[in-house]
Parts: sequence; structure tokens; C-alpha cells
Amino acid sequence: MSTPAEPTPRRGPEAAASDRSVSNAGPPISRRRLSGFTRYALRRLLMIPVQLVFVLLILYLVIDVPAGLARSPPESLSAIDQGFAQLVLNIFTGNWGTTSYALGVTSIARPELSWVQVFTYYIPPSIQLALFALPIAAALAYPVSLLAGWSRRPGLDAPSRFVTLTAALLPTFVVGTLVLNALFNPFLSYFQDIPAQGLLPADFWFINRGGYPTWILYGFVTQPTGFPLIDAVIHQAWTVAAISFTKTLIQASVVAVAYVAIFFRHARSIARSVREEVYIVGARARGVAEGTLLWRHAARAVTPSFLLVFALTIPEYLGVQFAVEVAFTDQSGFGYLIFASLMAGDLSPIIPLVFLIAIVVLVWAFVVDLIALRLDPRGGALR
Amino acid sequence: MTDAAVSSPTEAPPPLPRPSLRERLARRPPGLGLLVGAGLLTCYLVVALSALLVFRTSLDQLPQNVAWVPPFNPIGPSWAHPFGIMPGFGTDLFNAIWQATPWDLGIVAGILGIDITLGFFLGATAGLNDGGVFDAVITFICDSLGAIPTFLLAIVVFAGLVAVAPSAVGLPLFVGVFGIILWPTMARTVRERARTIAHAPYVDAARASGASFPRILVRHVMPNSLGPVLAQVPLDIAPIFFVLSAFPWYYNCQLPGGPPTPPNSPPLHYLVPNLPFFSPLLSPSFPEWGYLLGFGTCDGFTTTGVFASWWMYLFPLLAILGLGLALGLLCDGIERWRHFDR
Repeated sequence: MSTPAEPTPRRGPEAAASDRSVSNAGPPISRRRLSGFTRYALRRLLMIPVQLVFVLLILYLVIDVPAGLARSPPESLSAIDQGFAQLVLNIFTGNWGTTSYALGVTSIARPELSWVQVFTYYIPPSIQLALFALPIAAALAYPVSLLAGWSRRPGLDAPSRFVTLTAALLPTFVVGTLVLNALFNPFLSYFQDIPAQGLLPADFWFINRGGYPTWILYGFVTQPTGFPLIDAVIHQAWTVAAISFTKTLIQASVVAVAYVAIFFRHARSIARSVREEVYIVGARARGVAEGTLLWRHAARAVTPSFLLVFALTIPEYLGVQFAVEVAFTDQSGFGYLIFASLMAGDLSPIIPLVFLIAIVVLVWAFVVDLIALRLDPRGGALR
Repeated sequence: MTDAAVSSPTEAPPPLPRPSLRERLARRPPGLGLLVGAGLLTCYLVVALSALLVFRTSLDQLPQNVAWVPPFNPIGPSWAHPFGIMPGFGTDLFNAIWQATPWDLGIVAGILGIDITLGFFLGATAGLNDGGVFDAVITFICDSLGAIPTFLLAIVVFAGLVAVAPSAVGLPLFVGVFGIILWPTMARTVRERARTIAHAPYVDAARASGASFPRILVRHVMPNSLGPVLAQVPLDIAPIFFVLSAFPWYYNCQLPGGPPTPPNSPPLHYLVPNLPFFSPLLSPSFPEWGYLLGFGTCDGFTTTGVFASWWMYLFPLLAILGLGLALGLLCDGIERWRHFDR
């Protein structure tokens, strides 16, 4: 018969404090292990270049290899006819080649520009649009998704599902064209300008007022920052700034509404699952007001998941913004560049373009993932 | 009490007979959304079948009335032409949409079939293999491909294939390419659900009782991971029709000076429908909703700011929306029917 195990003596707070002090001293720094959160972040960060190389491999296989296999490859494709290793080297070192195509004009003889230089012209207007669209989308998506998922009344959930599914199915360029035409006459009568042709007033507006100011270069490129609104404010061109602000707001509203429809389908189910959480049910049973439950507890609980949905749907967001830029003939926008080069059969900028988009998406997903993990109380296990 | 009356604790009770579909329907009546969605889809199928019978000799070519081609006096909806006339095509829009129905249902069914088969199977397998090599590979592929907007990847892949084999260009190739491109999104959402199910007590119990990986996958994980598939299917229709409509719209409407015309041809005073070089459609007079919508959105706004020719884009748009909403209602209805207690 075995003797019963010796019970562990109860230890006082002094012993526990002594243990803590020992553990805080820990092993030397060189041997100290990284926390779970740091290891996770490092692993994700190191994975980004690998994912970018994989994206390049896919593009190499679908653009470069077919060009090599085709008997008489188009001129545009032969320019990128190179080995995969060379392609990766060129892309990662910023050697993206040159083009005479820029700012929607192909027929005019122009000096060759590097693609990097061309992209620096196109990116700021697209960023300006995104900086308007994303806050509007967030202001719409967060409460709508939360309320629709939370509510048990079919009167709110069913119509919101119907409306958002309809909006998600509507091709964005159709919505953009409808909005553009609906606002055309009011905009013209108020600003003596049209709501299309980029984020600056149209060319005839400047011509009617004696020509372009010196800070607007060929192809609607503005100086010194490249952001039309900021540059107009810097040069105290208040009417131009007002028109740029209004045009950006119109386009951003279309982008936001179309994107909210995509976001909603994912976010609603998250809010719905939070409604059934034990602590919410328990708090409701104790008589906590429904508004407090929703806006204080549920809203906080869904934030990390909403951020993750946002990170996952960034490619869709970019697709929506590109289509809106095209619908509003925003010739200085990134989306217009993609559409125009695809239509011209020129696939040479597609690899660096997709590479840039992939960097934005992967880095954004990484940042959002870490923020979500920090905000999520369940993420403590990783830290 | 006799010994026979006391059953052994290890003896399992006899399994209850599986209820028939009628009994299950009686217990859980399908909701209104499911019925409406199924009814709408049936209508689409009936329209497609009737088009196959009526237009069987010229299903891939829209009939053209030369008098209707110039849009100087566009003809709106009337009793004779319920959806109006589409100038440029020179065709009755009602007939054009009717004729396009079997093609579009085929495109959607083909793409969604590949998308669901690959995405559902691979996503569920990766979720069950949580943390394993297969899961890591699938997650890596999904995350990497997910960094590229769907429409861009689809067009780039399709344009690359056009460069290799121009003769292979067509709807079957488009359907295959688009289905393969859409699966990572589906797989990613299914994997998340499958991961949760893979750690559920009943799956642990099945594993402990010796059930094989394929059996657990087919019997437990896949049926319970159907929710994300049903949520994703209606959304996957949007990029299909976006690609089919946006590029013809841009090609016909947004290019400076309109679409390119053959050299030495007389100048045109009206829009003639044309297709971009990577279009999967066989000819510029091919019946397809997205193409009709793209051209109609362009031709319907020849005078900016005036909504006079609304029928040119409205009816193709309604055809696309109707199909998407039917699928959405059906999928939501099935999901609610499966979880009627929620």
C-alpha cells in the first residue's frame, strides 16, 4: 500500500514574491526567449517577402512565360521577357523599366519615364481619395453591421441584408456613372465645372480662367506634394481647393457605399455571434440595459474581428476604388492607369503595379492583425 | 425486476430511424426567403430552357435590325418592345436578355461549381489539418493570392493565356480561369470554420473512436462548414459580372475617341459595340448580360447628365441583380433552415 503523497505546504506571500523576483531576474539576455506575440509578429513579418516572391512567381507564370511561349510576342511583352530570378531582382531593387505611356496619353511623343516616376505621379491622388473614403466607410460600416447583427427584429436585419447584397452585386462603375450623371447639372451650375476628370477642376475650367497655374504640371500633376487638395491649399487657390474637396468627397462616398456592402456580409455574422456570448447573455439577465450591452460591450468585442475583416477585404476595397476612379475618368488615379494599360494590351506595368498592391495589402494585413491581437482579450495566449 | 429488464451499461441503445425529408420539412418549415429564392431561380431556369428552344439555331448571335442601329431616335419600352431597343446592337433588349439567359446561367454555374468544389474541399481539409503542412501550404497560397484584387488577377491570367493560345480563348477557358481564381477566398473562409469544428468535442470523440481523416472530413467537418460557403456564394457573383461588364464599358465608352475603328473606315456618328482583346465572348454581337450592361451604361449616357435612355442599362442590370438576389435569398434561407433555432 502506497503512502499518501505529502501535501504541498501552503506558501506565504513572501515566498511567492521571492519566486517572482527570481523569475524577473531570469536567464541572461542572450538566452531569454521572445514572447509569443513577438515571435508571431516576427514570423508574420518574415513571411511577407516570401509571399511577395510567390506573387511574383504567379505573375511570371501568367504573363512572362506565355509571352515567351507565344511565337511572336507583342512588343510590350517582350520587354519583360526575362528569367524569374532576374525579374525578382529587378522588382525588389526598383528597376521597373521605362515607359512613354503616362497620364492617359499614349499618342503624344514623350520622353521615356521610369515606371517608379510614373507611379509617384499616380499614387498621391489615389491616396487622397482613400483618405476620404476609408473614414466614411468606417463610419457607415461599423454601426450598420453591429446593429444589423445585434438586432433580433427581422424588420432591421432583413432589409439591411437585402440592401447590402444588392449594393454588393451592383457593378461599381454603374453606380459611379449614375452618381456622376445625377450630380452633373447641379455641380456644373454651382462650380461651372464637371464632377469628372480627376480630383482637380477640368481642363476647360482652367482655360476659361486664363490657363493652368504654375503649380499644376502636365497631366494634372500638382506640386509640391502631389496631393491635389493639399497643394491647392498651400498655394491658397481656395476655389480649386473647394472643387477638389467636393470631387473627392463625391467619389469617396461612392467608394464607401460600395465597400460597406462587401464589408457588411462578413461583419454582420461576427456581431451576431457576439450576441450569443455567455457574458452578454449573463449581463442581459442581470438587467444591464440593451444600449449599454450593445455600445459598451458588444462594440468593443467585435472591434478586433472587424479589423481583421477589413484587412481581408482590402483587395476588394482597392478594386472598388479603381472602378470608381475609372467611372469618374480620374486620369491621374492608379485605377485609371491599370484599366488604361490593360486596354492598350500593355501588360508591362502590371507586374510592378500588382507588386505595389500586394505590398500594401500584405503590410496592411500584418499591421491590422497585430492591432487586432493586442485589442482582443483572447489574444493573450499568444503574448 | 428481472435481469433481462436491466440493460447492460455498455450496451448502446438502438439508433433512432433517420427522419425523412418530409418529416424534417414538417418540423422545420422553410422560410419565406428560401421559398422566394428557390422560386426565382426556377424562373431563371425556365427562361433559360425556353431560350434554348426558341433561339436554338442562333443562340450565340443577336439578331440585328439595321434600322435600329443608329441611336438618333432611341426606342424606349413599349408593348411591342417591353424592354426597349438597344441601339448599336440594333436589337430588341427583351429578346437579347432572354437569349443571354442560358449563357449567363452556364457561366455562373460553371464558375461557382469550380469555386465551391475547390474552395470547400481544400478549405475544410486545411482546417481539419490545423497546423499541419497541408494547412500551411493552403493558407500561404490563399493569403498570397488574396493580396491581388480578383478582377485584376482574372484579367492578367486570361490575357496571358490569350498570348499563348488565341484559338483557345472562349467561355470555357474563362469559366475555368475564373473558378480557379475565386477558390482561395472561399477556402480561406471555410478553413476558419473548419478549424473550430476540428476541435469540437464530437470530432475529438470520432477521432478517439478510430474514425479516419477522410471520414471525419466528410461526415463531420464538411457538413458543418457549409455556412461560410452559403455566405460567400452570392458575393462571388459580383466579380464575375464586374469583369464581364466593366471592360466592354471602358472599351466602348472611356477610351479617348471611342473604340478603335478599322483604317480608312468612314467616321462613325454612333457607338458600335466592340470587345476588348481579352474578352471571352465570341463576337461583338454575342448575347451576354454583362456585355449588354457595359454597352448600355455607355450608350445610355451619350448625353451626360440626362437619364433619357434608362432602359439600356436598367434591364440588363435587373437581370444580374435578380440572379444574385435569388442566390442570396436561397443561400440565406438554407442557412436559416439548417439552424432554425437561432
